Parts: sequence; structure tokens; C-alpha cells
Amino acid sequence: MSCEEMQHKFEAYLDGELTLSDQRSLEEHLAGCNRCNTMYNSLRTLSVSIKNIGYTHAPASLRRNIKRGLKEISGEHADAFHWYHLLGVGGGSAIATAVVVWLVMISTLPSAQTSVTDELVAAHVRSMMVSHLTDVASSDQHTVKPWFNGKLDFAPSVRDLRDRGYPLVGGRLDYVHQQPVAALIYQHRAHVINVFIRRGDTVAQALPPRATHQLGYNLIRWRDAGLDYALVSDLNEKDLQELAGLLAGQPAPKS
Amino acid sequence: MANKKDRQRFERLMLVHHDAAYNLALWLLRDAADAEDIVQTAYMKAFDHFSSFHGGNSAGWMLTIVRNTAYNLLQTKKRNSNLVNFDEALHSGDELCQFSFGSMNPEDTYSAMMTGAQIMDAIERLPVEFREVFFLREIEGYSYQEIAETTQVPKGTVMSRLSRARAQLQKLLVEKNRRKQANVL
Ligand SMILES: [Zn+2]
Repeated sequence: MSCEEMQHKFEAYLDGELTLSDQRSLEEHLAGCNRCNTMYNSLRTLSVSIKNIGYTHAPASLRRNIKRGLKEISGEHADAFHWYHLLGVGGGSAIATAVVVWLVMISTLPSAQTSVTDELVAAHVRSMMVSHLTDVASSDQHTVKPWFNGKLDFAPSVRDLRDRGYPLVGGRLDYVHQQPVAALIYQHRAHVINVFIRRGDTVAQALPPRATHQLGYNLIRWRDAGLDYALVSDLNEKDLQELAGLLAGQPAPKS
Repeated sequence: MANKKDRQRFERLMLVHHDAAYNLALWLLRDAADAEDIVQTAYMKAFDHFSSFHGGNSAGWMLTIVRNTAYNLLQTKKRNSNLVNFDEALHSGDELCQFSFGSMNPEDTYSAMMTGAQIMDAIERLPVEFREVFFLREIEGYSYQEIAETTQVPKGTVMSRLSRARAQLQKLLVEKNRRKQANVL
């Protein structure tokens, strides 16, 4: 066999995928051919170097969070987070079907985003646990919107999206980072959706929707017209994107 | 219906793979915070679909969900990004990989003195599909067949991706080495 034919088998040899007879003929060739031997060694060095880079250990928080998340969704009471029972959704079913969508604030500092995200998740869970989902329970946008008058220094726009599959349930005043935020609650099939809106830095430019993940929830956050929004959910991202598109007054992105 | 027993069985089989899952996510996403979020989400998803695991390669099953979840995030980012740099990274592979291993001169072999950081830097410039097969082959030691199952592409595609990844990486390292030598002279 020619050198070129041999060289085509270098990788399969390196990866242990050659038949025994091919392996033997390649080894014989390498022993007698300097050029091929050099080339093969270069390939092997690369492979060894990469293997030596090796593993990064996952942060300890990851394993902890996975275990906690698993207990939550398997309906065990080891943690206080069995909020879907309070909602009457799922009632002991395997999977927490309640969906939380939060439109909240975007932090411009990446390092601050995690803590905002944490606080949003915590705020949501808290609102479920004390059965305090809404301050004003109404599907009428003309009832919910004026309820915020005098409670916030901005007027959040409130739209019922029942005809798009996301009926408005009500509104609530909440606090994130010690700042009052508007919380709008929507529903999608069996899923509850919390929407939080905060006044952002008015001089900051608009930011397009950006998705992140936290404790099994999906979040989508954006900034528009001086207001910060964030969306969090365990619903599939496609549906969340659709809702984000509706709330941002844009067409849903094509999938 | 999931209960404590299901959860414990899931943890016993799948939690041991969380380091591998995290490393794969890190290779694909190149961001520690994103990697952590994605693995968390993937584990919740995996538990939801645990009934579809019928024994066998539990690591491969888990890593498939991790990589699918990571790709979803990359897709979302691509859609939401005005700069679309990821898209370019994805498709630059074809053009960059004109270089093939067989065409390389032995004189071009880079020095074995390349540091881990230099190699990692070169790896980060590979398209995501290349990083994926690379990780599964070199770090996890998967066979071509196992990589094909995990990444849901034909075995031939795995082999060509792996080969192109190696060729491209060698090229990047050779160039780096040449620049280094040029600077010395
Ligand atoms: Zn030869």
C-alpha cells in the first residue's frame, strides 16, 4: 500500500477503529517509513495534548441544584417548593405543569444577572406559596392597568391575550432588588405565567430578547422603551418565545 | 407518575454523568454560567422523559439530552443576536477545512510545546459540531458508533467531522507555531 493510503488510516488507527489486519500492516509501514511516522506522531501528539487538557470539575452548586430540582418535580416534600399543589395544578402528578413566565428586568452587568435571576425565581415561588398570585384578579385589561396607578412611577401596558391562547389572570405589585415591579399574571393551558416589568435606565439602548435558564425554568429578558422585561418558564422555549413576541408587540419568531 | 423511587433510580443512573455533562456543555457553549444552566435544564428534561430510557448506555442517553438542550440555546442566541457571529462560526467550517491532514508537510508539524491554553484557544475557534465530536472522542473516549448515536448523525458524518476538526486544529496550531517562529527571527 502507498503512503497516501496509509495516511488515510491514521485516524482510524489512532481511534482504535481499525481491523486487526489493517492495524498490523499500518504498524509495519510506520516502522519502515520516516515520513509517515513523523506525520502520525504529529497527529498522535495532538490527540494526547487534548486528552491532557482533560476535565473541569462541575461546580458543586450544579449537583446540588439538580438534586433539589429533581425533588421538586417528583413531587416530594423535602423542599418547601411544592407550589404546584397550592395552585391545584397537577395535584401530586409527576411533573410540575405550572409554567412561570416573568417579564422582568435586565441587568446590563453580566455578573449581576445571576442574582437578579435568582431573586426572580425566589419571588415567584414566594408568590405561589402564600397563595398571593394576584392583588387584582381580572381578565379585563381596563381593570388591571389602572390598578397600578399611583403604585409605580410608570404605567405598564396591559393586554389580554386570550385570543392568542394566553388569557390575562390579574396583576400584582412585587419587589425585586428592593424596587417595586409590576407583575402581570397570564395563563397558558394549565400553566401560570408571571410577568414582571420594571423601569429601566432610560438612557440605555433597547436590548433584544435573550434566553437564559435557571433551576429548570427558561427566562427570556429584553429591554424596550425604557422598561426592562424578563420571562421565565419551564415551558418549551418555542412557546415562550411566542409569548415574548406577543408581549413585545412583535410577531413570534419563525421556528 | 414519578415518585421517590423513580427519582432515586434516576439519580443513581444519571447523576454520575454530571461532570461529563458539564464538560460537554462547556465545550459546546464556551461559557461556564450557560453550561451550568443548560445541564440543570437537561437533567430536569431527562427526568421528565426517563420512561423512554430502556437501559443501555446511560451516559450516551444523558449526553444526547445535554447536547440537544445546548443546541437549543445556541439556536435561540443565534436568533436573538444581531451580530450572528455563531452562524458564521458554524459555516466557516467548510471553507476552513479545505486543508486536509494528508496534504500536510512533515516539516509543518508544530512543536509539542504547545500549552493546554493554546490548544484550548484553537479548539474554541472550531465550529460547534467539530468541538462536539472532538470532545466525545478525545475526552470521553467514545467509539465512532457511540458518537453517532449521541449526536444523532450517521457514522460517516462523525468520521468526516472528526477528521476535519483535526485537520483544522492542526492548521491553526501550525500557523500559530509559524508566527511564533517568525517573531523569534
Ligand atoms: Zn509512508
